[in-house]
Amino acid sequence: MKILIVGAGKVGATLASFLSQEDHDITVIDNNDAAIHRASDTLDVMCIKGPGAAPSILREAGAEEADLLLATTNMDEVNMLCALTAKRLGTKHTIARIRDVAYTEDLASLRKDLNIDTVINPEYSTALEISRLLRFPAAANVETFFRGKVEIIGIKIHEEDPIVGHPLSDLFGKTKGILFTAAERAGEVIIPHGSFVPQEGDKLFITGTPQDLSAYLRSLGRDLPKVNTVFIVGGSRIAHYLTKILLPMGVRVTLVESSEKHCRLLSESLPGALILHGDGTDHELLASEHFTNNDAFIALTGRDEDNLISAMYAQQQGLRKVVAKCSHENYASVVRAAGLDSIVTPKLVTVERILRLVRGLQDKSGSVMTALYRIADTDVEAAEFILRDITPHLGEPLMNLPLRKGFLIAALLHEEKVIIPSGQTILSAGDRVIVISHGQSLLAFKDIFEDTKS
Amino acid sequence: MNYKLMLRMMGRTLLVEALLLLLPLLVAFIYREDPRPFLYTLLPLALVGFACSRVKTKAEFFSREGFVVVALIWVILSLFGALPFWFCGYFESFTDCFFEVVSGFTTSGATILSDIERLPRGILFWRSFTSWVGGMGVLLFTLAFLPKVGGRAQVLVRAETPGPVATKLVPKTVQSAKILYEIYFALTVLEIMAFSAAGMPLYDAVVTTFASVCTGGFCITSASFAAYNTTCQVIAIVFMILGSVNFAVFFLLLTGRGKQALKSDELHFFLGAVGVCSLLVFVNILPLYDSVGVAFKDAVFQVASIISTSGFCTTDYNLWPPFAQTVLVILMFVGGCSGSTSCSIKCGRILLAFRTSTRTLLRFSHPRAVKVVKLDGKAVEEETLNTVFAFFILFFLLLGAGSLVVSLDGYSLTTSFTASLGCLSNVGPGLDGVGPVGNFSGLSHLSKWFLSALMLVGRLELFPILLLLHPTTWSRA
Repeated sequence: MKILIVGAGKVGATLASFLSQEDHDITVIDNNDAAIHRASDTLDVMCIKGPGAAPSILREAGAEEADLLLATTNMDEVNMLCALTAKRLGTKHTIARIRDVAYTEDLASLRKDLNIDTVINPEYSTALEISRLLRFPAAANVETFFRGKVEIIGIKIHEEDPIVGHPLSDLFGKTKGILFTAAERAGEVIIPHGSFVPQEGDKLFITGTPQDLSAYLRSLGRDLPKVNTVFIVGGSRIAHYLTKILLPMGVRVTLVESSEKHCRLLSESLPGALILHGDGTDHELLASEHFTNNDAFIALTGRDEDNLISAMYAQQQGLRKVVAKCSHENYASVVRAAGLDSIVTPKLVTVERILRLVRGLQDKSGSVMTALYRIADTDVEAAEFILRDITPHLGEPLMNLPLRKGFLIAALLHEEKVIIPSGQTILSAGDRVIVISHGQSLLAFKDIFEDTKS
Repeated sequence: MNYKLMLRMMGRTLLVEALLLLLPLLVAFIYREDPRPFLYTLLPLALVGFACSRVKTKAEFFSREGFVVVALIWVILSLFGALPFWFCGYFESFTDCFFEVVSGFTTSGATILSDIERLPRGILFWRSFTSWVGGMGVLLFTLAFLPKVGGRAQVLVRAETPGPVATKLVPKTVQSAKILYEIYFALTVLEIMAFSAAGMPLYDAVVTTFASVCTGGFCITSASFAAYNTTCQVIAIVFMILGSVNFAVFFLLLTGRGKQALKSDELHFFLGAVGVCSLLVFVNILPLYDSVGVAFKDAVFQVASIISTSGFCTTDYNLWPPFAQTVLVILMFVGGCSGSTSCSIKCGRILLAFRTSTRTLLRFSHPRAVKVVKLDGKAVEEETLNTVFAFFILFFLLLGAGSLVVSLDGYSLTTSFTASLGCLSNVGPGLDGVGPVGNFSGLSHLSKWFLSALMLVGRLELFPILLLLHPTTWSRA
């Protein structure tokens, strides 16, 4: 596909790198010399310097016959204009990043009026992801599928967990409705078989319905009560969206922000939250606000270092659930090693969403990808497809299918019922399935079969 | 200070007053009464007004001039407005005339007349008509219907419109003023028609409407509203309440933005206060009545009359139990909504003060908490909140001063306090000596002048008149 990316910032550059590896033709447009140089030095893409919303620049970049335009500059308005202009010039599909709180309320009509196909809001998606983590405090990651009917959660295995030292095949029959989907050990990710023996320090990814997962966590003695009070440091957009999500759920939110002007704005749009003016890393302030009495601590300032340090402090002070935002992936792995496991990276959230869209646009072969997650920022992906009647191998039991190595069907939704598949399970048109892939990107559902892969 | 511009503005307003005086003159002719009081007034009024309005100046209004000119205009308007009373010979002193006309313009309804029915109809018409003019604001009237005086009409409107924050209906001030008066006219016509339909004579209907749609409170009978039938009293309840609602609400309703209109916190608070207080008073006075219906009607009427700062009465509430009286006295402090014809502290300010106070309590447990105070879902600036508190302080200081002055005449605490409160809040009557059956005629000249001043101060929301007394107002630099 021919893809234009306007804005070679954090998200733009990461997308360019991922998409160029997936054999797309990428053209990057940016007004900033340094950004252009960085992109042309590190990526196999074409670079054009200039204002991305200008028709002449877009034409030069080939907007007339482009399949996709991604507008990811740091200005919402520029992104909207880019998408609008590109669409006029003939670009088939446009995606614009719009993240200002002021636009989110009228997003639907804005999209229609400006003829933008997809709007992405990384901050909102990140907030949504954090809110899921808070619903499953025991899990380090939570991904949802089938519109929330199935989740994949990641949990850290502790020494006292009963499953330590027993192969997974022993658990057969005792773990109804859940599936051990992937395991991370010492930075390596594998899709576990019955012979896999969980050890302390492993991270297990389990698929199941929220109810079954809760029940299983309870049986492990890991079921933490619901999060009722949340302490947020940093009044970023993510904090704003997150508070907006949490307040209607009946969660009490305390938010610390260092700019007084910003505090007033937050107080205006979030009347239900307690807004404090101060430095979130100031232990005196944290202590006077009794922050250890909160169920969860979330660090969302603009500085990764502050977030990680205050999150580690909160964990040391004994808060049950600690989440930190971290924009640099390389920090994330360091901190995970230090025991902080709930790290969110807005950039990756965005990249995942866009990759999913790009692959969905590409796939004309019978199945539509509706969700894609990269498990624990590794090369294991979980993708959700809707099967259509032209999908191959419908109606045959799974055990007879020529599944390729490294692929796993983790769950399916058949007539609104969630099924954790066994050998006898049969796929039919209209079903939704979750496919776990390891080491290779999945573009189309038929690629999981030996005989129909492209 | 731009004196020329101020003179010009005053001249125009006096000319408007002269025009308005033609109406009572007409009434006097219709009823074949002596037209001289009005003619004697018209002559100097038109001369002075014409002379002043010829003053040429190019300069603009600024905030200071705006406030000062509004305050001065109200004083001068009242001085001229008192002349017909003075010339008609039914008043004992010019003090009484001034008190009565100020009570009219400020929509207070406090009277020094004990035998009202004795007065000619033209004079009574003028007495009620001043209330009608004062209710919406005489400057607003000038701005709406005379050619433009300068670009900064908003400075004048801000000084005259009640409420902590002046709202504009449409971008142009003059246009906003016109819309306000159109709504006001419409309400007036509706009420006249309703009263006539309910069997009130036309003259009574017109004059009583003038005094009630502006939440004034002048009645042309000594018995106040008790002289009219129940239907009329119910109509009065409706229009007193309508007159206390922010006129912006009507504008929004008429332009199809009802959802936005009904979202107003202040409106909810006002209607809630009317409902709760009516119920409290009703339960409290029920033992005094034979009929539940009459008790309920009297309770609602009195509550609506006091909270709207009208001051009409259907019964002598001096005879009510202390609890009901206390509720009414508290309501005298409350008043209606901002941007209405009612006066006193106003629901908006009370809400803001209450919310600011709870925020202070929050700060005791969370010293670093930041919380904006909101009204109708919008953040209110800290500066406005400070002004609200200044308003409260000044209101209570003036109330105290007024009570002291009246108590010098030897009246009881209740009389002194409620007389002062009645005037400052523009309700009019109070309790005891100045209650529904009493009046202000027995007060000394000093008290009457002081209370007249309080009425003006209260109508203009304290600051403009007080600004006249502040030294920096008159400094050159």
